[in-house]
Amino acid sequence: MIRFTTYSLDETHALGQRIGKSFSNAMVIALTGDLGCGKTALVQGIAKGLDISDDYYITSPTYTFINEYPGRYPLFHVDLYRVEHSDDLENIGFDEILMDDAIVAVEWADKLPKDFLKEHLHVCFETLDDTCRKITITPRGSKAVEVIDQLKSMKEIKWD
Amino acid sequence: MIVLGIESSCDETAAALVVNGSRILSSEVASQIAVHHRYGGVVPELASRKHMEAIVPVVKAAFKTSGVRYGEIGGIAVTQGPGLTGSLLVGFSFVKSFAFALNLPMVGVNHLEGHINSLFLGTNPPPFPFVALLASGGHTSIYHVRSYTEITQMGQTRDDAAGEAFDKVAKMLGLGYPGGVVIDRLARTGDPGRIVFPRTFLDKSTFDFSFSGLKTAVKRHVQKTGNKYEDQIPDIVAGFQESVVDVLSYKVIRAAKEMRCDHLALVGGVAANSRLRERVEQDAALQGLQVHIPSLDLCGDNAAMIAAAGYHYLIDGNQSDMTEDVYSRLPRF
Repeated sequence: MIRFTTYSLDETHALGQRIGKSFSNAMVIALTGDLGCGKTALVQGIAKGLDISDDYYITSPTYTFINEYPGRYPLFHVDLYRVEHSDDLENIGFDEILMDDAIVAVEWADKLPKDFLKEHLHVCFETLDDTCRKITITPRGSKAVEVIDQLKSMKEIKWD
Repeated sequence: MIVLGIESSCDETAAALVVNGSRILSSEVASQIAVHHRYGGVVPELASRKHMEAIVPVVKAAFKTSGVRYGEIGGIAVTQGPGLTGSLLVGFSFVKSFAFALNLPMVGVNHLEGHINSLFLGTNPPPFPFVALLASGGHTSIYHVRSYTEITQMGQTRDDAAGEAFDKVAKMLGLGYPGGVVIDRLARTGDPGRIVFPRTFLDKSTFDFSFSGLKTAVKRHVQKTGNKYEDQIPDIVAGFQESVVDVLSYKVIRAAKEMRCDHLALVGGVAANSRLRERVEQDAALQGLQVHIPSLDLCGDNAAMIAAAGYHYLIDGNQSDMTEDVYSRLPRF
């Protein structure tokens, strides 16, 4: 487990970029936290770390459920905000993208049935005040642990 | 020429028959709003499977309502993107086989260009060139439109769409769905100046938008106010709406001035918002600009706009072949 405190949107974005850089395998990232806590901002950073062109804006997938972007790995940006039943996961094609060799970032992952995700990174956001966020990353599975080790080895990274 | 249009990029499965990109013979929308509402929130069992169930009945209904026979259509237009891949594929694959079976030309249309073409289905189409603001649940962008098919994006949201902000604010205040309609109505009873939320103009020279910070500001206001927020709801939504409208109106008018256009247009679901219409009309009148807005039923997702856009591609000889695929996202420009 690794814990960060970010003091601005830019810092959340920068943390995302480092997470994106650290990926050397397909990975699922489960994002949880209240509305406006910075989930999309972190994914925007991850996209940057995956060398997705600046010509793509990483916008909220709330309406479309899943947005795809080409990068060092393909990025699937998923938003389960509008999903209420586990049947819908199949309807939106969520099962299929989990089988791809890709980075899959899932907002509102707390809507997934328990233990639905096997190997993944759980990124949990807590809103401390208007701009300050506590971000806790918990790995599940050996590849996820490698990502945390990789993050800890980055010189520019400071964790709590 | 009669064109069959098909739309399935997000929640709506729709089919329409349109003559010469301007006259609607039928426009059927199998909306899933009823499904959403049953659960008291924005939501469920939409997407691909629902599109699969709806597509054949909706196409049949479009032919039945209009009395048009298959042999009378000259081509088929279908939304190719952006949207949810699985949902887009239902419409796109249907059209491939339908076009193949009837030996008709087909063309894939950008959903956003479709919204702009909704302007030519009404009684007050804008003359070229003009500037259009598209604001909906999934998109917020500004375009410079030089002809039916020459459309350049000038800017777009960097995070949330305007309509999404309406829905999320309505949900956090427990106001139900669809959020835009509820907030529009409630805001009339509130004071937009009592609670002032931030306006995110970004760099004033860009035509990009950002509504994520506004959504967060409303959320923080509600959290800080505690239970008392319930008495403030009309003022909160009026203040929120005014913030969105200020930014949208400012940017679309600046875009029209920069491109030296005398006409501007509002399209997409948020164009149905009465305060946005009123405000843009007022601001535009001061600048000597004319405003064009499609009728309410054409503001939301529909297939008539796809048929209209597709008609102009088809008469220019542009068509898609059977090897083409849908796309989820496109680069900005």
